[in-house]
Amino acid sequence: MIPRFSYSRPRSLGDAFHAHAATDGEGAYVVGGTELLQVMKMGLAQFRTLIDLKGIAELHGIEVLADGTLRIGACTTHRQIERSPIVAASLPGLAELELHLANVRVRNQGTIGGNLAFAEPHSDPATFLLACDARVELASPAGRRTVAIDEFVLGPLYTSREPEEILTAVLVPPAGKGGGRGYAKAKFFERPAVAVGVALTVVDRVVVSARVSLGSITEVPMLVPAAAAGLVGAAADPASLAAAARIAAASAFADLDAVDDLNGAADYKRHLAGVLIQQAALAALTEATPHA
Amino acid sequence: MHEIIEVGLTVNGRPHELRIEPRETLGEVLRDRLALTGLKVSCDSQVCGACTVLVDGLAVSACTYLAVDADGRSVRTVEGLAVDGRLTPLQQAFIDHAAFQCAFCTSGMLMTATALLEENPAPTREEVVTGLEGNLCRCTGYAPIVDAVLAAAAATAEATA
Repeated sequence: MIPRFSYSRPRSLGDAFHAHAATDGEGAYVVGGTELLQVMKMGLAQFRTLIDLKGIAELHGIEVLADGTLRIGACTTHRQIERSPIVAASLPGLAELELHLANVRVRNQGTIGGNLAFAEPHSDPATFLLACDARVELASPAGRRTVAIDEFVLGPLYTSREPEEILTAVLVPPAGKGGGRGYAKAKFFERPAVAVGVALTVVDRVVVSARVSLGSITEVPMLVPAAAAGLVGAAADPASLAAAARIAAASAFADLDAVDDLNGAADYKRHLAGVLIQQAALAALTEATPHA
Repeated sequence: MHEIIEVGLTVNGRPHELRIEPRETLGEVLRDRLALTGLKVSCDSQVCGACTVLVDGLAVSACTYLAVDADGRSVRTVEGLAVDGRLTPLQQAFIDHAAFQCAFCTSGMLMTATALLEENPAPTREEVVTGLEGNLCRCTGYAPIVDAVLAAAAATAEATA
């Protein structure tokens, strides 16, 4: 059985902060529990109190703000994102990613906020959202702040969130005219072995800017500017872009600090990254040039 | 003195008022308190799907779902599928297609497929494969299971045509 804990079900952020303060640092926020309950079962973490955030209305919902930013409430489940018409229109790569995240049970229960806050190194959303230049919104009794994904996920299971802070939403800027975002992964178990995110912008049939993120292969998702630079200047057709991505990966991923583990040998993972960047770039190109 | 929470949930149409500890999983409550042992807790880590039950129509892993989170919700287990001994078209299709051998995964497969067909009554083969990819079977090789789900969808469509 899971070791004993008490359970608090606040209905507002204020009540949640209050409940957290009452635990003297021995409380943890929980939403779906798909990650947290596992580590508690295994005895890797123990908390006196779990503070369930699901009952807080403002942590739910998906909307597009006036400036085009996609705002996803932290307690939105993976399944809700997968099936959201708003996400399908605004960030189709995320809907596709969610359809293939873990399994349907995890998607029904687990949430985008929980996934990011847990910072498991093999997180699908963190890698893709990093390429998308997304931010997370954090709330505390002192107020709110937003943090870029790469300043939020600092290490395996380690983020810049303060213990009392609550991740309230994910904010994804619009792709803009000629912009597209794509994601590709290889997985042999529940979580990705290697994952690549690509965001690019096309002007006059040429890629003029790009961001490339790499996940699961290293301890934290990371941007790879050298790979992104290799995409800039490529002609915006599938064959040219794939060729540019292949060439960029050959040098940019060569020294990557991949680890040998059950997901594969380091060399194999670097090879996979070189294949996946092509797939992710083509997915991004499809969004960027829908009528091509 | 440890905390006890009173929860009210409906299981297979029957309301239950229970006094439980927060740490109790839905799988423990269903199996140990309500004697609904159709669900199997196997991997205990949300990977295998043998403990799949439906909460408000959505498939979840009972092994890693707190029972307190089912408070006020409707839970369905494999025991709730057949009514008065009449199998659902899906259950019948599993028999007709020999979609189980040892059957340890079967209740989870049935619940996942039940939710899938309720959401998508006419799935493609690919949609069934994707929908079931989180439920592991070590006997059948999956093909008979996918065949059975597609046959159940066809049988239901025919019956309601």
